[in-house]
Amino acid sequence: MTPIEDLRDKVAIVTGATKGMGRSTAILLAQSGAKVIATGRSEEAGAETAEMMRAAGGEGLFMRQDVTVEADWKKVCEAALSQFGGLDILVNNAGVFMVKPIQETSEADFDWIYRTNVEGTFLGMKYGFEAMRKTGRGGSIVNVSSLMGQVGFPGATAYCATKGAITGMTKSAALEGADLTPPVRVNSLHPGVIWTEMITDQFGDDAALQQAFIEETPLKMIGLPEHMADAIAYLISDQSSYVTGTELTVDGGRGAD
Amino acid sequence: MAGQELAGKVAIVTGGTRGLGLSCARKLAGAGAQIVVTGLDKARGEAAAQSIGPSARFVQQDVSKSADWPAVMRAAAEMGPLNIMVANAGISNFVPIELMDLDTFRALMETNLKGAFLSLQNATEAMRNHGEGGSIIMMSSVMGRMSAPANTHYSGSKAGIRLLMKAAALELGAEKIRVNAVLPGITHSDMTAGFDEAETAPALIPMKRFGAADEIGDAVLFAASDRSRFMTGTEMIVDGGLVAR
Repeated sequence: MTPIEDLRDKVAIVTGATKGMGRSTAILLAQSGAKVIATGRSEEAGAETAEMMRAAGGEGLFMRQDVTVEADWKKVCEAALSQFGGLDILVNNAGVFMVKPIQETSEADFDWIYRTNVEGTFLGMKYGFEAMRKTGRGGSIVNVSSLMGQVGFPGATAYCATKGAITGMTKSAALEGADLTPPVRVNSLHPGVIWTEMITDQFGDDAALQQAFIEETPLKMIGLPEHMADAIAYLISDQSSYVTGTELTVDGGRGAD
Repeated sequence: MAGQELAGKVAIVTGGTRGLGLSCARKLAGAGAQIVVTGLDKARGEAAAQSIGPSARFVQQDVSKSADWPAVMRAAAEMGPLNIMVANAGISNFVPIELMDLDTFRALMETNLKGAFLSLQNATEAMRNHGEGGSIIMMSSVMGRMSAPANTHYSGSKAGIRLLMKAAALELGAEKIRVNAVLPGITHSDMTAGFDEAETAPALIPMKRFGAADEIGDAVLFAASDRSRFMTGTEMIVDGGLVAR
């Protein structure tokens, strides 16, 4: 991961920062000088992320948050304002994954994936906008969608629905954010296959499977959390000051065919 | 830190003597790369190279002429193995379909689309020779996704670049040659000098302003650097929200 230079004095919230891409992103932003509130549901894993941010020379803390609960969003945004003096950056990373054919997807399955991926992202933008408006410095929001928010995948109808919703919500929010003074930018990131617990919990931590993903990927490599952290850092930094409402696909070329 | 992330790298920026291309060349040089900038105008090109600094060299070139390419590739090879190609050279004009003669159409297509192909082909050969891969960045445009009247040739050329980029990304991925496109919106440059920002931007562009050339340069720098090492076949839109609605 490459620290970037212009995040000093910025305040960031990263959701789903107890593992995977969220954790890597929280560490990179802290290392780059931002004050980071890393959130997630596991206290134990969150404490580890906080320790990793400190070890990387950054300033950050962990707060327990369920992104589907409005009261938790109020608490986290309030902490950004009261403890760090504002909010500039929000990475709506928390998400869940499920592969199930349509006929096997129960209403409860659908509700579960929808609540976290869609409502969690929506609430983040709602309370994030409010906190950024109060701060008065503009801001940048990255919503983590997926390659599956751009193209279909068999057996992943519910997941594709939620990630497609993020792609669309991002554009609408970007138009609203552009009307604020100073503007709040909103973009979506579309990872391909990233080797994290999201994959290994579903399919197992299987070297043969990882090799199969590598073979399927035009760049012949596996995506890693740090690859996504670098892309998110570009999107939340002033290096992308004219970028809003866009989809940044970082997938090793999978989606190009 | 990101400051010298391209130290030791060699880059070519076509059409690098003004506007977006010059900004790209400055950003890459600022990150430590050695640069060959190319362009049609010798005096302007030499002044541009001098303004970038000692790491830059100008080579006169028409990107659409294959005979002009060997001198460019030799100049880059003298600096070292090629790592980065920014295929930026392009022209723009507005002509309604029925008034456009084939020569006008062809002149634009040859620079914008064939020039992009020749940039890709020459860069690929140089990058294959050292086997360490590289990053090729194509300058497309939001006009390759949306359009405007009297712009069939320009929109056609820029849409063509998007798919040329994707096909190349698939073909070259296994050799670690990444190919991506940057799609600027309306950006301050000579190409848009006739556009009235105060008149058009508030209604047309969600962010209510034109982009700055450096904002395109930053996107190109990201695509050129190892920060984007898992990114290929991607369109990076830098347009202030223009195509989001």
